[in-house]
Amino acid sequence: MNQKTLQNCGKCGLCLNACPVYKILKEEQASPRARLQLIKAFEEDRLLSSPLLKEIISKCLMCGSCTGACPSGIDHYSQFMEMRQKMAKDHVENPMVKSMIWLLSQEYRTRLGAKMAKLGQKLVPERFKEKYGLGNIPLKRLPEFNITPFREAAEETISHGSKPAGTIVYFTGCATNYLYDDTGFSTLRILEHMGYRVIIPKKQTCCGIPLLFHGAQKAAKNNIVTNINALDLDAADTILVDCATCGTALKHEYPLFTETLGLDKTKVEKIASKVEDIMSFIQKRFHLLSFTKDSIEKVKATYHIPCHLKNSFGSHEQAQTLLNRLPCIVYSPADNADQCCGGGGSFFYEYPEISKQMVTKKIEGVKATLADIWLTDCPVCRMNLAGNMEEKNELQVVHPVKVIAPFLN
Amino acid sequence: MLDIKIKNQLIEVVGQNRYLDRKEELACFSYDAFIKEAMPDAVVFVQTADEVARILKVASEHKVPVTGRGAGTSVCGAPIPVKNGIVLCFSKMDKIIEINTADRYIVVEPGVVNADIQNALAPSGFFYPPDPGSMNTSTIGGNIAQNAGGPRCLKYGVTMDYILGMEVVLASGKIVKFGSKNIKDVTGYKLCSLFCGSEGTLGLVTQVILKVLPIPETVKTMLVTFGKLDHTARAVSDIIGSGILPAAMELMDKMTVNAIEDSSHLGLDRKAEGTLLIEIDGVKEACEKEMDNIIERVKKQGALDIQYAQTPEDRERLWTARRSAYGVFAKLAPDILSEDVTVPVSKVPVMIKRINKIGERHGLKIGVLAHAGDGNMHPLIPADRNNKEEWVRVEKAFDEIFHAAAELDGTLSGEHGIGLAKSDYLPLVMNKDTIELMSRIKHAVDPDNILNPGKFV
Repeated sequence: MNQKTLQNCGKCGLCLNACPVYKILKEEQASPRARLQLIKAFEEDRLLSSPLLKEIISKCLMCGSCTGACPSGIDHYSQFMEMRQKMAKDHVENPMVKSMIWLLSQEYRTRLGAKMAKLGQKLVPERFKEKYGLGNIPLKRLPEFNITPFREAAEETISHGSKPAGTIVYFTGCATNYLYDDTGFSTLRILEHMGYRVIIPKKQTCCGIPLLFHGAQKAAKNNIVTNINALDLDAADTILVDCATCGTALKHEYPLFTETLGLDKTKVEKIASKVEDIMSFIQKRFHLLSFTKDSIEKVKATYHIPCHLKNSFGSHEQAQTLLNRLPCIVYSPADNADQCCGGGGSFFYEYPEISKQMVTKKIEGVKATLADIWLTDCPVCRMNLAGNMEEKNELQVVHPVKVIAPFLN
Repeated sequence: MLDIKIKNQLIEVVGQNRYLDRKEELACFSYDAFIKEAMPDAVVFVQTADEVARILKVASEHKVPVTGRGAGTSVCGAPIPVKNGIVLCFSKMDKIIEINTADRYIVVEPGVVNADIQNALAPSGFFYPPDPGSMNTSTIGGNIAQNAGGPRCLKYGVTMDYILGMEVVLASGKIVKFGSKNIKDVTGYKLCSLFCGSEGTLGLVTQVILKVLPIPETVKTMLVTFGKLDHTARAVSDIIGSGILPAAMELMDKMTVNAIEDSSHLGLDRKAEGTLLIEIDGVKEACEKEMDNIIERVKKQGALDIQYAQTPEDRERLWTARRSAYGVFAKLAPDILSEDVTVPVSKVPVMIKRINKIGERHGLKIGVLAHAGDGNMHPLIPADRNNKEEWVRVEKAFDEIFHAAAELDGTLSGEHGIGLAKSDYLPLVMNKDTIELMSRIKHAVDPDNILNPGKFV
């Protein structure tokens, strides 16, 4: 543990109001400052490992907002990540989290799990779908699984013409692969329109972030090594992600864990340097888009900024610039567009009560925009926002690529 | 650990969920932004005045210390429970009860965050002037306990100047109310000013009526650099002495500016020995006239360069520089010590010279940052408390800084409060009988000394 970084917490408390969990609970023990102080006490043997310590450390969205607010430039995210590994070693995870780790640590299990779940969705009686769910989200409001996983449905290499604008390696993440293939196909449509050659490596797997959050380092290492080998292609100009959280894994977590997990440093750095999120990717190459000349009926759209897009990529402004430039929508920002939705990977089913309060505020903020459609480029945010809306004033929640693709020439 | 009987009585008041006594949780209430720490025996989160009253009755009965806490952003150790006991936390008692801009007041509970008051008032074109650096996190209850100030308090005055009325729970559990919704009110003792700044040693505020003001129509911000720190300080006293009252006048020395630039590249002049951030607000025409007057004066005092904020973003950038100063100093060493001695504004130049000499004498880097317009200095010393030899020098330096301020008719604290940090130095600025008067007042309202014991009184 980097003692110096820890000690440099001046305990000023400016992180408190940046923390979505603190803002709901208003309890010091739920604050980033408290977590840092507890980690310090633990490192100095003033505090022993305990289930309660683990709980306090885990009651965190890992959204990175504290780091953004910290005047001393502390990397909370890495501190918390390391502490999570230590706590997971000493204390058992809850069964839900355990099964998630089991599923995500082998692609064949994830694939099988998705198939079973798809079948399950058909078999479960309607009344159960009302009653049971994941966290606050009733079963019937969870997304339906893709009929065929996106990476099986799409070609591995897609070329258009002999002179492509460049080569994109597309890291789809589990969500696009198993749940939201509309994001995947829309992304392909846009890349094709822009004239890129696209490679979707079949061998890629879960980025490993959910595993790392819960201290499953060994399982994560397998996934990470698989991904490094799948993504390290010399032909790739850009490694594209449609989910900022997966992107954070490739860009920040892999380098962070290079030493601990004994990863190939050169490859990790090369991959990290090529990662781009889809929103800023399109924004920077907007001139390559040509929209249909047919008269477009603009929809009023609002946007939820995923925490990782803001805090890890810093590209939330790029994303909003892009939305403002699109001819197919009228962008109507919500006052709380950059506030966390309470999804946080597995947070929404580990701490449903806190998560509910956060998502409720989000939904209130969006209602005020009178938008018809809610865009967000993180699948967990999408699931969480869509899953928590009341049926009677439901907004469709989709990835922004979905509103771009249909209007291209 | 509290006696099980006391524990049960407390749980009866707030319920199991708002009572904490496990070590991991208690550790989170052992600190603020000061360097010392002490563990409480229990933490309770209150939500009503009645709960506070019932808890204080229990505490009085068993003579258990009670230390109030808001968001824990104090920099002087005020909410640290040095005598253990109960930490009574107001962060969940955070309702805005009434906004009345027609009569220019707002009624709030103590756990409301300062910035949330600003956000609630902004749509009606009003604001609450005191703006401590912690305003995005700190609660109004904490602001009142410490009589907090901030940059714009130069023009607008500090927390106390905005308290119209209060509801306070005394150590006995009695609930008292004083002041009113009236700007003018000379009915009885002005008790608000006794409790405001008492750092939780006299009573616990459970509701407050605050005066609010309309947001000024124009704000003008500029950044002026000087080749000599002395010129900078003289420009400050010249402007204030001429009768202009800027909303804020912030001074940063070379070391501070360089520390800021190292971390955030805001385009400040690294060579300038002194930098002044000046802001004026009010009616447009008046601002322009004052601005010209200020420009003339800073030029006369040898200003090298003047930068004007043309857009709100520019203004934000200049203020970001100033606000980030504390944090960037925190990056220089494991610990950062900041004090807030204050001197009459005409003595700012002398005080800065003395601080620099003290730093040289003890081989310490002391950054000087100041709300210079009101003489409120923030000497900042990055240090490492584990380096015993250095720590001795740091303590000596602060000792001399306090003495220097006292000699210049200054005072120990302009806005942070005394807390644990400066209680030993009270005799420098108060005679024995005055300190005794404070003790008598304390004894009269809190005879068993259960409220925030171990602090300055």
